[in-house]
Amino acid sequence: MIRRAGIVLAVALFGLVFARLTVHHVERQSLPPLGKRYVELVPQALGAPNVITGILLTYRAFDTLGEVAVLFMVAAGVGLVLGRREGRNENPLTDAPQPPRQASEIVRTGAQILVPLIAIFAAYIITNGHLSAGGGFQGGAVVASSAILLLLADPRRRFDQQFLSSTESAAGVLFVLVGVAGLIFASGFLDNRVLPLGQFGTFFSAGAIPLLSVLLGAKVGCELSVIIDRFRA
Amino acid sequence: MAELIGSILVLAGAVFHLSAGLGMLRMPDAYTRMQAGTKASTLGNTLVVGGIAFFHPDWTLKLLLVIYFVLMTNPISSHALARAAHRIQVPMTPQTTVDALRDAREQSRGDA
Amino acid sequence: MISTVVLATGLTLILIGIWGMLTHRNILRIVIAFSLIGTGTHILMVAIGYVANGTAPIIDHGLSTAEAPMRAVDPIPSALVVTAIVIGLAVTAIMLAFAIRLYEAKKTLAIDAFTESKW
Repeated sequence: MIRRAGIVLAVALFGLVFARLTVHHVERQSLPPLGKRYVELVPQALGAPNVITGILLTYRAFDTLGEVAVLFMVAAGVGLVLGRREGRNENPLTDAPQPPRQASEIVRTGAQILVPLIAIFAAYIITNGHLSAGGGFQGGAVVASSAILLLLADPRRRFDQQFLSSTESAAGVLFVLVGVAGLIFASGFLDNRVLPLGQFGTFFSAGAIPLLSVLLGAKVGCELSVIIDRFRA
Repeated sequence: MAELIGSILVLAGAVFHLSAGLGMLRMPDAYTRMQAGTKASTLGNTLVVGGIAFFHPDWTLKLLLVIYFVLMTNPISSHALARAAHRIQVPMTPQTTVDALRDAREQSRGDA
Repeated sequence: MISTVVLATGLTLILIGIWGMLTHRNILRIVIAFSLIGTGTHILMVAIGYVANGTAPIIDHGLSTAEAPMRAVDPIPSALVVTAIVIGLAVTAIMLAFAIRLYEAKKTLAIDAFTESKW
């Protein structure tokens, strides 16, 4: 009774604060100074049409490296919490061991058609990060969704953990090496001008941003696949 | 004229989405809720995307690809979900008369 | 007008998530409510960066380099949200891992059964 009244009171108070925020919200008429500076700088200085990817992979690239570190910690944490459950195939209701079951035919056939499509889509999103909407994080999440589909279609499949973890580490090391090359050859850590800027709007342009997108997409995709693999029954 | 047809299609798609939400709230057990959610929302998606194709005729091929993708993924995922629910014996509503999957599984287990 | 509607949607989602987290007793529903709060926050952040009659900050045939500072939407909140979504997925994965371990320990998903750390 008191708990219910407390819940209603808390939600009502939050609702009051949110309503006041909504009513007094004034739409911006022009860009704030920092946003305007980024929108002007990224096409000219970096040669990348997509302003958001330019920010994420050059001006704020150090924060992106931190986010990748957070993802790695989460993958390690899930591996720690769910670590000792490998190979247990018990019925969740009665705890009796049962033979590993096969997925239904519809799911298997659908997976055969969809996994190549999803893989092509993920590669497209990752490599087109500097030209249109996309980038490493988004493409990595799509790679992980294809991993889920593979696991659903064939519950007995074992992902090659060694391959996934060595790809992930190699991508991370290469990311930092490209950044250090930016320190040596250009004007700062993870500066994208180590590679030629090329012609604005073509595929091989914007310096090191496509390379960084591919490395980031590979790292995020492998990490999320490892996390999903731990949840296997 | 094309915009009128497009707007009607988008409105019809929104009505189907509303019915999907209503169905998920009002249906008695998990299986019927899954059926209401998947069928109505897939059709709603198709109608909305088809309506957009009337507004931007040069996007038609890309929108057809989107519709194809939605038609491939929604039913398969709901099928996998319903099979998993049947496996851990999620209770059915007492008005059920036929359980074909249970009969088929018992028959195959009896044959094996 | 547009950004006010999107702002209200994001704040409503956060409110529903807070109510859900406080009311439900099933661990999985609490995890879903937490994920709802995350999604609402992302929508809220994108709505704050909207500029009136603006368009996406991507230079293509619809938006030239010269007129970009006038018509583009603020790119910084969108850049923050891009990484926030992936981190949200990872945090949900950790919460679900804990839910699995708790279920294996006590065979129940009701949060009232886990009272050992209460005084």
